[in-house]
Amino acid sequence: MKTAEEILAAIKTALPEAKVELVQNPSVSGQHSLVVAPEDGLAVAVFLRDDSELALDFCSNATGVDWLDKETTEKVKATEVVDGEEKVIEKTVKHIQPGYLESVYHLYSMRQKHGPVIFRMRTANRTDQVELPSMTPVWRSCEFQEREIFDLFGIVFKGHPDLRRILMWDEFEDHPMRRDYVDPDDYEYEPTPHDEVLKRAQEHQAQQNEAKQAAEVTQ
Amino acid sequence: MAVEPDLKIELGKQGVFVTTLNELYNWGRRNSVWPMQFGLACCAIEMIATTMARYDLARFGAEVFRPSPRQADLMIISGTVTKKMAPQVVRLYNQMAEPRYVIAMGACAISGGPFKQGYNVLKGIDRYIPVDVHIPGCPPRPEALIHAFMTLQKRIEEQPLTGENRPRHLDADAQGLFPVPEPGAHDLVPPVNRLVWPLPAPKPDATEKQG
Amino acid sequence: MAYFYGNSMLSSPYFPLAVLFVAALGFGLAPLGLAWAWARLVSPAKPNAIKNAIYECGLESKGDAWVQFRSAYYLYAIIFLVFDVEAVFLLPFAVAFTGLGVGACLAMLVFVLLLIEGLAWAWAKGILTWA
Repeated sequence: MKTAEEILAAIKTALPEAKVELVQNPSVSGQHSLVVAPEDGLAVAVFLRDDSELALDFCSNATGVDWLDKETTEKVKATEVVDGEEKVIEKTVKHIQPGYLESVYHLYSMRQKHGPVIFRMRTANRTDQVELPSMTPVWRSCEFQEREIFDLFGIVFKGHPDLRRILMWDEFEDHPMRRDYVDPDDYEYEPTPHDEVLKRAQEHQAQQNEAKQAAEVTQ
Repeated sequence: MAVEPDLKIELGKQGVFVTTLNELYNWGRRNSVWPMQFGLACCAIEMIATTMARYDLARFGAEVFRPSPRQADLMIISGTVTKKMAPQVVRLYNQMAEPRYVIAMGACAISGGPFKQGYNVLKGIDRYIPVDVHIPGCPPRPEALIHAFMTLQKRIEEQPLTGENRPRHLDADAQGLFPVPEPGAHDLVPPVNRLVWPLPAPKPDATEKQG
Repeated sequence: MAYFYGNSMLSSPYFPLAVLFVAALGFGLAPLGLAWAWARLVSPAKPNAIKNAIYECGLESKGDAWVQFRSAYYLYAIIFLVFDVEAVFLLPFAVAFTGLGVGACLAMLVFVLLLIEGLAWAWAKGILTWA
């Protein structure tokens, strides 16, 4: 099987316009992945499937990842004039990398008996621009898995034939697998609380007591 | 008007069988509890095993699992009740004829079990319907289910036909309708039926122990 | 007159049949009537909207229960029935197979071929494609 670099080169020669990056995986497994810009996603996917050497005709797994806003600090040396003297001052500059949602596809080839090739796409942000092209027209097995990603992460797949919630009920509004999801507070009765449940039960009890005190004050 | 046990045994030795209407009635009821054919998760596999030849729940009068709630007396909540499934479970319970009994089987049906902190699992079915017997275990063994069934039989046997503790089908004022929760934007609405599941007193030691 | 009329009725050959008919009717209706009376007199009826609703595995029923099936479904059913009946005939044949002569085998072969011809005809007519 071709290495990730070779696949990247093949994509570049076939689709010179496509914006594709290689993300190295430093772990032992070394499963490097291709990050494709959403607008080129469908073209790259069709190439990966139809290319006679790659022939990635089976998508075994589609999943989502939620990346929160990342804050990085960088130390920058700058020269400033302080009291008529030039001094080199070290400054720490904070960068906020906006978060995004990501869909990940694991592709295999039944014909060539190789794989996996990992194919990822990223949304612009986590709030309003959460659209990605659907891979269901390319690999039929993505249909239910993309519905699950839509349900749990809230990525909207354009071109999906039947994009509805699959696990939660239709009236549900949240996306439970997002990192900032807060599940409903029903920790009122915990006979044997411990760890996380104990914390939640204490929070719930504190809220109840506050509400009770507020009610007593108003009376 | 119960017959004294010693007298009853003595009469039995003489070949005279004495009983009361109450005993006869409950004897009939406890030996013909028909469960509903209804399984939710992995506990259902144990429930099925309990009905098969090796454990043979039929010995206790649970002859047939009825495929319709109209003909069933007992609902075995066998497994995880997800929030999406909870309205259906409550509706099925409502559609059963009186007298109806509920066994909550396994950790999930009691409290949510290992999925307690999950977003989609109900923290115990007794938030919406009254449960007669709880069985802990993940999953409980068939013997545990048989024990629960025998416990239920004992409870039925002890019910008097009149007075406060009479079975619900003889009590015209007993609550018959248990509201079905509606799917809401974040959780089921209401999240708990207070008539069935009154709020227990908060445990002060639980919050102070590590607080 | 009445005596004669009664006598003729009693002597009628259909009289025992009529008696049996009435008895059979009574035998069927009496338990139903008793059950109804028992339910009426003893059980406190506690109907409510959910209990009286149509049972649909716990889901709320939507739409009408009176749905029409495609006529093609019945053709499927007939073809299925033909082969179902064939199995009924083939089983005793197979059980007694070792004791049978050439004639019986040939007869069975003709029978099976007739059925296969029917299937081939249905196939050629396009019944098996569900369009």
